[in-house]
Amino acid sequence: MDSFLTSRVVTDVLSGLTNGAIYGLVALSLVLVWRATRVLNFAQGAMPMFATYLGMGLLSYDWPYWVCVGVSLVAAFAIGAVTERVLVRPLYGKPEINPIVVMVGYLIILEAFAAAIWSTTPRSLPAPFSPIDWKLAGQPVGLSPFSLFEVVTALVVMGAIVGLFRFTRIGLQLRASALAPEVSRLLGVRVGRMLTLGWMLSTAVGAVTAILVASNFFTGLTPQLMDGIFAFGFIAAAVGGLDSPVGAVASGIALGVVLQFVGDYLNSNAIILVALGILIVSLMVRPNGLLTRSAARRV
Amino acid sequence: MSAVARRGAVALGGLVVAVALGFALAPRTSDAVAVAAVAAVAAVGGFVGSLPTVRAEHPALARAMLTVVLVDLVVFATAFLSVPTDFNLATGAGMAIVLLGLSFLTGASGQISIGNGAFMGVGAFATAIWANHHATTPIVVTLLISVAVGALFGLLLGLPATRLRGPYLAGMTLAFAVAFPAILSSFNSWTGGDSGLQLPNSVTAPPWLVGLFHAGTPTLTTDTLWLTDVVMVATGVAFFFMANLFASRTGRAMRLVRDNDVAAELVGVALPRTRVIAFVISAAYAALGGALWTLLNNSVSPATYGFALSITILAVIVIGGIGTISGAIIGGVVYAYSTNVIAWFVARTGLNPQGNLASQLNGIIFGALLIVTMMFSPLGIAGTIRHLRQRRALARERR
Amino acid sequence: MIAVERLTVAFGAVYALREVSLRAETGKITAVLGANGAGKTTLLRTISGLVAPQSGTVSLDERVLTRRRPEDIARLGVGHVPEGRGVIAEFTVEENLRLGAIVAKVPLEEGLAQQYEAFPVLGQRRKQHAAKLSGGERQMLAMARALIARPSVLLLDEPSLGLAPLVTAQLMATVAELCATKDLTVVLVEQNASSALRIAHHAVVLNVGSVVADAPAEVVAADERLRQYYLGMVE
Repeated sequence: MDSFLTSRVVTDVLSGLTNGAIYGLVALSLVLVWRATRVLNFAQGAMPMFATYLGMGLLSYDWPYWVCVGVSLVAAFAIGAVTERVLVRPLYGKPEINPIVVMVGYLIILEAFAAAIWSTTPRSLPAPFSPIDWKLAGQPVGLSPFSLFEVVTALVVMGAIVGLFRFTRIGLQLRASALAPEVSRLLGVRVGRMLTLGWMLSTAVGAVTAILVASNFFTGLTPQLMDGIFAFGFIAAAVGGLDSPVGAVASGIALGVVLQFVGDYLNSNAIILVALGILIVSLMVRPNGLLTRSAARRV
Repeated sequence: MSAVARRGAVALGGLVVAVALGFALAPRTSDAVAVAAVAAVAAVGGFVGSLPTVRAEHPALARAMLTVVLVDLVVFATAFLSVPTDFNLATGAGMAIVLLGLSFLTGASGQISIGNGAFMGVGAFATAIWANHHATTPIVVTLLISVAVGALFGLLLGLPATRLRGPYLAGMTLAFAVAFPAILSSFNSWTGGDSGLQLPNSVTAPPWLVGLFHAGTPTLTTDTLWLTDVVMVATGVAFFFMANLFASRTGRAMRLVRDNDVAAELVGVALPRTRVIAFVISAAYAALGGALWTLLNNSVSPATYGFALSITILAVIVIGGIGTISGAIIGGVVYAYSTNVIAWFVARTGLNPQGNLASQLNGIIFGALLIVTMMFSPLGIAGTIRHLRQRRALARERR
Repeated sequence: MIAVERLTVAFGAVYALREVSLRAETGKITAVLGANGAGKTTLLRTISGLVAPQSGTVSLDERVLTRRRPEDIARLGVGHVPEGRGVIAEFTVEENLRLGAIVAKVPLEEGLAQQYEAFPVLGQRRKQHAAKLSGGERQMLAMARALIARPSVLLLDEPSLGLAPLVTAQLMATVAELCATKDLTVVLVEQNASSALRIAHHAVVLNVGSVVADAPAEVVAADERLRQYYLGMVE
């Protein structure tokens, strides 16, 4: 018996949303850093990966799950702050390839250190909710309690970030520091702190993402955990526009759904190819992203 | 004594000494003849290339002669080295070609690619696939076809580059590097899936070379030697072209684009075209490097051309000196010998070679060097050497 | 009171200011005049900490400002309306004002109400993006954004730039009124010497980084030599 809810289309949409939420979160974390400091952070996957090892590693000492999540977030905040202060700050005003290269170097180091300390063997993290799909008349619906949790978490995090930007004093200062650092300083905004805060928030969003990804039964936590996800997150952010948090999240979710259909109706190899194609085409059409108001580059 | 006469005397003297030594020391007449040939090429090339008039009026000829002399001497040297050393050298030379392309991309246009490992893979697989379907094609033609395929892929990915600024392009090339294994397995029937491809018939040394060394019995050693020399000649050609490109009008236009693209556009540089050309050239060079690796290994495996290779390529060129020609050579040497040096270091420090730390030392060292280089000497080893030489020259002037 | 003592600023080998000393009295408008490149903007940027001087000091009342960071100087009560106004175009009018109120000690709503009362046009357009404002409105917004923090010093850099004469006159009247009612120390940098001299109490004329005149406004306004050579005011 085939009901609508277990039809192939609905199942694909639901699983696509789950993946898309992850892509959207990675895209969001990239946008946070890009807006604040004009750095495309190639270590955006590796920094949260490290924080996740630090926090979730405590599970083996029998720490409660949610405490470990909290420690991971604290670690992410710390890593974000130290990275911005030590590695990124000397790079402001340098040619644009300098931060790219430095962040790639950082990516290599973080992955190498993680592998040196915790080895490359995947560690399985317990999912806080069942990862087995709900069933309707014996058919899986493409949504499990855990994937629902992923989607809800993603939405909550995105909502929190957007709310922070729109409605709070800190958010106002974060946006102002990114848009007009000098004017902001003249108005008494501590711009340096705001840039650091942008990196901290971004790494924390990344840590939430990394925990969700690593809790997936099939992957587990590895040093290279975020390499592939990073590529999809970047594609989402580039398509949506690196300046637009909402655009990044929306295109992440859309990308997840489209790619789920590609994987289901074509094959799994086609997923990244189609994603690459989408990236190339969208960058040719709108180099600044499909969802941003295009602004002329300042001369 | 005039400059011409002095150089002529040096070249002739060197030739006479080399020939005399060759005939005195070489065990067989054929060896002595080979020594004489090498010395003659070096003497003539060195003489012509160093003439002041040639250097001033025909810089391309001077560069060609310099390349000939260098390749001549390296080829001569490879005959005396062990098989593993030759293999390492050739691997490093193939990498140096890839680095040259990347160095040109950044040095000339200010762009950066994190996907050149994938372009290398394109060339590597193009060679293997072509050789499997057309076994009789000469090596040179196969290499050229692979380069063309690489350039085509470069064009495909480079087209959006006309309108992209650095970080977007870098991200796109990264996505390509991540996607490359999937591209390979999508075309399983051609690329051989996870196991990759073997070349149908390996490149073997020509009879005269075999005759020279082993009186008629082809062995693995002569084959490796021949392959190494093919790679060296290809590297020489690649370097010659690149040196001319750096000095050409196009090269100057590209440097202008790098330094200030707005200014470049104002003085009439076709900006989008310049960017795409730089990108295509870097992809073609990467493909040539990959093609040579396939010849060297007699096979190709998809595992070689993963994301890690792309990252490593970026690391060694930055350490060597991105944007410079000499940086590519230094980077090639670093690539060829870093594994040995690190293994030696591990042995000295008494780390467990199978342990986690030892196996990750490569990444830790490369990553740290990458960051330190960018922070303190963005032109890498080549830039540091240049800087030191300038300082010494300045100090000499002051004296 | 702002006191500048023997201030020297250089960018590489080029001197922007050489041993400049001046005083801007509390409750008075001090005009800083001079041609393009005289060092007027550099002077303001040095006062508010954006530029570090080679030597010399700036002090606010008894407090030395030199070597403090711009954000700390702003928090000490120095409001700087930069050249070109520095309005954040992507922000709404109200967001710009809220940003100005970050360092304010009065509650936000009170400050907003005051500024909307002083500049009614801003109140009408509070939800609009600043990009949509006219030049005069932007200047109002920039001033309101500085004033909402209740500064004791207001540095104005070329407020009349790009404005129509009538709008400039209104603006100058507003500045004069603010200064009188709020006991504000105003440093007014202007190329438009005649409108600045009309409201200023005191005037300092800069030429290629040096002070060439420092006198009451009416004295400067009456000096034919100054008018011709440095202020470009030819009848």
